[in-house]
Amino acid sequence: MRVLTDPALRVAALADHLAVAGDGLRAALRDPAGIIPAIEAAGLRGLGGAGFPAHRKWAAVAAEPGPGKWIIANGNEDEPGTFKDRFLLAETPHQVIEGALVAAVAVRASRVALYVNPREAAGVRALREAAAAWEAHPLLAAVSAVVGEAVELRVVESSGLYIGGEETAAVASVQGGFPFPALKPPFPAQHGVGGAPTLVNNVETLAQAGHILAKGAAWYRGLGIGDAAGVKLFSLSGDVLRPGLHELPMGTSLRALVFEHGGGMLGGRGFKAVFTGGPSNTLLTAADLDVAMDFDSLRARGSRLGTGAMIVVSDGTSILRKTAEYVAFFAASSCGQCPPCKVGTFQVARLLERLEAGAGRPGDLEALRNLAALLPGSGRCGLVDGAATVLASSLATFPEEYARALR
Amino acid sequence: MIGWEQALATPRDAAPPPAFDKESLLRGFHPDHAPGAMVPLRVGVSAGQPCPAALADLLQANALVEDVDIAGRAMREAEVLVVGGGGAGCVAALTAARAGARVLMLTKLRMGDGNTVMAEGGIQAAVGAEDSLQRHYEDTLRAGHFRADRALVAAMVQDGPEAIRWLIQQGMGFDLAEGEDRIGGHLRRKKPGGATAARLLSFRDYTGLELMRVIREAVLLTPGITVLERHPAVELLTDPHGRCAGAVALDLERREILLARAGAVVLATGGAGRLHLSGFPTSNHYGATADGLVLAYRLGARLREVESFQYHPTGIAWPPHLAGTLISEAARAAGGKLFNGLGDRFVDELAPRDVVAAAILREIAEGRAVAREGCAGVLLDTPGLEAAQPGILAKRLVTLSHLAHRAGFDPAREPFLIRPTLHYQNGGIAIDAEGRTAVPGLFCAGEASGGLHGLNRLMGNALLELVAFGRRAGAAAAEAVREDRPRGVGLTHLAEWERGLVAAGLPLDRRAPMVFPAYGNVDLAAMLRKRVAA
Amino acid sequence: MSLEPGRSLWDSGGMTIPIIIDGHAIEAPDGASLIQAWIAAGLPLTENVGCMGQGVCGACRVLVRREGERIAAAALACETRAEAGMQVAFIDHFPARRPHAYDLDAMGDSWSALGQVDAVFPEAKHCRHCGGCDAACPKGIEVQKAVNLAVEGRALAAGALFDHCVMCNLCVAACPEHIAPSHLGQFLRRMANSLTLRPGDLIERIRQIENGSQAIDLDAPGAQP
Repeated sequence: MRVLTDPALRVAALADHLAVAGDGLRAALRDPAGIIPAIEAAGLRGLGGAGFPAHRKWAAVAAEPGPGKWIIANGNEDEPGTFKDRFLLAETPHQVIEGALVAAVAVRASRVALYVNPREAAGVRALREAAAAWEAHPLLAAVSAVVGEAVELRVVESSGLYIGGEETAAVASVQGGFPFPALKPPFPAQHGVGGAPTLVNNVETLAQAGHILAKGAAWYRGLGIGDAAGVKLFSLSGDVLRPGLHELPMGTSLRALVFEHGGGMLGGRGFKAVFTGGPSNTLLTAADLDVAMDFDSLRARGSRLGTGAMIVVSDGTSILRKTAEYVAFFAASSCGQCPPCKVGTFQVARLLERLEAGAGRPGDLEALRNLAALLPGSGRCGLVDGAATVLASSLATFPEEYARALR
Repeated sequence: MIGWEQALATPRDAAPPPAFDKESLLRGFHPDHAPGAMVPLRVGVSAGQPCPAALADLLQANALVEDVDIAGRAMREAEVLVVGGGGAGCVAALTAARAGARVLMLTKLRMGDGNTVMAEGGIQAAVGAEDSLQRHYEDTLRAGHFRADRALVAAMVQDGPEAIRWLIQQGMGFDLAEGEDRIGGHLRRKKPGGATAARLLSFRDYTGLELMRVIREAVLLTPGITVLERHPAVELLTDPHGRCAGAVALDLERREILLARAGAVVLATGGAGRLHLSGFPTSNHYGATADGLVLAYRLGARLREVESFQYHPTGIAWPPHLAGTLISEAARAAGGKLFNGLGDRFVDELAPRDVVAAAILREIAEGRAVAREGCAGVLLDTPGLEAAQPGILAKRLVTLSHLAHRAGFDPAREPFLIRPTLHYQNGGIAIDAEGRTAVPGLFCAGEASGGLHGLNRLMGNALLELVAFGRRAGAAAAEAVREDRPRGVGLTHLAEWERGLVAAGLPLDRRAPMVFPAYGNVDLAAMLRKRVAA
Repeated sequence: MSLEPGRSLWDSGGMTIPIIIDGHAIEAPDGASLIQAWIAAGLPLTENVGCMGQGVCGACRVLVRREGERIAAAALACETRAEAGMQVAFIDHFPARRPHAYDLDAMGDSWSALGQVDAVFPEAKHCRHCGGCDAACPKGIEVQKAVNLAVEGRALAAGALFDHCVMCNLCVAACPEHIAPSHLGQFLRRMANSLTLRPGDLIERIRQIENGSQAIDLDAPGAQP
């Protein structure tokens, strides 16, 4: 199944893109009022990790008065194990822009920020060239006509920091400030860039929109397996034979991803666990191999789909060391505003480092569990919650690995 | 005993206290003189000397480790080993390193987590035009009941002004007198209890904090000093000739034994407040357990005046969760008065500390104390002080105000209920003017050392001592390492020590140093008995 | 008489308060500090402790979440009294290590002193104004303001704000830009004192000692009992 990764979409020239695509935007221009119902019927969810129904966000921004509304196409992507947005931006920039313009028509937004992680130089370059091509194209003028104001595309380089992907942080960054997450409410839909209503969507979410408008909500919904709708880019990595980006129906089983598309476990090792989406969620284990990978099924299992990153670890890998690596990432990424987040993740990282070094002590596991219980909810954004979740899950699922590390 | 409400309602009479005989007061009420408080030491080079029973138990105990415990252990090498990371240890380490020695410092808690950082009042140095080194020298001797070593006192006093200059060079600040300039201005001077001149230099009422944070930073930034925190020394190492050649440390992080070999060792392990002598609460930090005395004595270092402890007059009596916490003498130096339950002053507040403490204990013993929720003490009249000098609590007695806040009252409206708290070990390991002990290769500085204070220490001489003798011992240790390199290092001294215990009929299964107070719930033996090779 | 600060509170027969410290559900004696509660529960204490109540050594750093509150706060355990439902986590100290190296003695020329602020603490100018240091400081110091003043070159004013800093280094742990504010404060204060504090009475007394006019007579009448 190739929708977003269709090779025909991997083109640099706008004309080449429009030769095989563009119908979605044209459909949107023909029937602006039909966009949000179509998105709703298609069952599109926020694919940056939250899985929030896209139409509700779109409808919320559409309901706000203009002019000067914003769209932020969020391509900040910095979490370990996630590498889907950089593909979309570098290889299919027009697909992303087309989707963003569909959204602009739907919510009547005139300012489209293509918010991209500067570490992905190829993506920044491709996006700048693509944006310039769209600026000169009559389709953009047609979009402006429907929106009622001149629509401008601007490429905004993010800070490159992990927290910059959080939606309020993205708003702060587009405003030119440091990407500090803010307490919600107010939500960006009501109070975003410069106070204007702002739609913040992951670039994968937006990229799907063009296809939905072009081929219909029913077609899109039918792409998924069971109740799940559409397709998803999975970033598969770790101890599998064929890591990489896999576009699969939403609801594909973990087993199919790992053992069919991923070619199975590397070196014939046993499957141990998967760190999903962030990696800030509850671990999946062998018992979860047949779970459908979609937002609701994973949530029902107590985990999350997240960004669709699946970091697979074999029984040759230490869960303790992996957890330590990810917590250290969160500790370093914490923005500083909330001491419990910065200092708490620092303390977790310190304890894990000690265990990893073989110097763990009686009481260390209790201290870790205590932090996993104390820290959630202590931050403006979800960073500390994610770190606590992966820690708690790792402790609960593989207690023997931790116990072994105690002296 | 007078109830709290009644005592507050009683008008306080500012009239001077009645005169009394100080010697009989001390004999009657000072804890050092309580019947049965002291026992004679039965073993070691200072056998026969009186010593508090709880301390004697430790001094006359067997070692925590024996030869088999140190086999197969990692060994760290240094030229000068400093045991203890409080003020004296840090000053000694800095001095030795700057003299070119490679220094290793072992600390039980973290560097700086000792009594120095808690010192509030200040540091003595005779800088006033009306003052002199001679007066400082005589004041110190007199306060110590003429039991201090004159040469040591003279050395400390003489070092005073230069010690202040050295501290300023390290970056320490001192308060200037009101309106004085930073260049050429005069220092703020207060009169310590028992002194004849205003000689106490200070930084706010947290002089020790200012000193410690500056010195600690200097140690961290000085090349040539390696600091191993959370590595208490549990025994000293000797060469076959009995020269001190390092220490056995316990790495608390990894819970295993580590050896440190050095050409010279400076003990700067501080005092013994956590022994809670005679049941007193203490103002001391958590690690004040006399470890250095125990280790040095076993090696043959002489002790002096170990029967003498300072009970700081103004420890918190109420609330119970702050019992023993110190209220700086700065409050009295600034004019704060003490009252008993009858509203009378009963002692010159600026008399030497032993006299003031004994007088408070007399008031308690003779029924003139104030009782609050079962806690007995006398009143430190902070409202009277604030009334006489408006603003003084907020501006100059910051720590005191903070403490009152934590106790849950406003010191401008309510007095403190106070009683003496175990504060300082007046004696300790005997040293000479270069910080040498009786054991070759072993030096000592700070509260662990003895001879500077006789039977009672003047306020402000502790900080001066640790700077003056930290520098002296550090320099002498750096000098001593060039003589020879230790060989055949081990625990050979322990056999002789055990023979002594057997001869004196003392048990062999009592072990010391204690390292942590019993209520710290630390199973040292479990950590130490993990042998590598048996 | 009971000697132990923890146990004596048990003996007082007061009420106890349920709290959780580092995963241990304990009953804290009424009125006890968190450190005292830890001891009273019979738990081993070898670290995160120093002055035990004076609040000056900065060893006992904790995160505390009070019942009903969403956000945990940084505090010192010896200064914080147990409250029902508190959840507490100790924050360890890393072994002593200082990345910001400088040598006061080499700073002989006071004209170059201000430039040293940036040379030694280059991170300070990257302050992202997150306010985390201020929120973390248990002493209520305006840390961020001090850092910003230092960057502006207002060394004395910045140093003065750190006047009552106990070097608990919670601001160091909290700072995402690795500015090490407390150490910056120490640098400013030490620099200011070593370069500009020259008390006249002290200098005069040192001169007298050097020229021999302050000799001590060990056997003077005042040195006799």
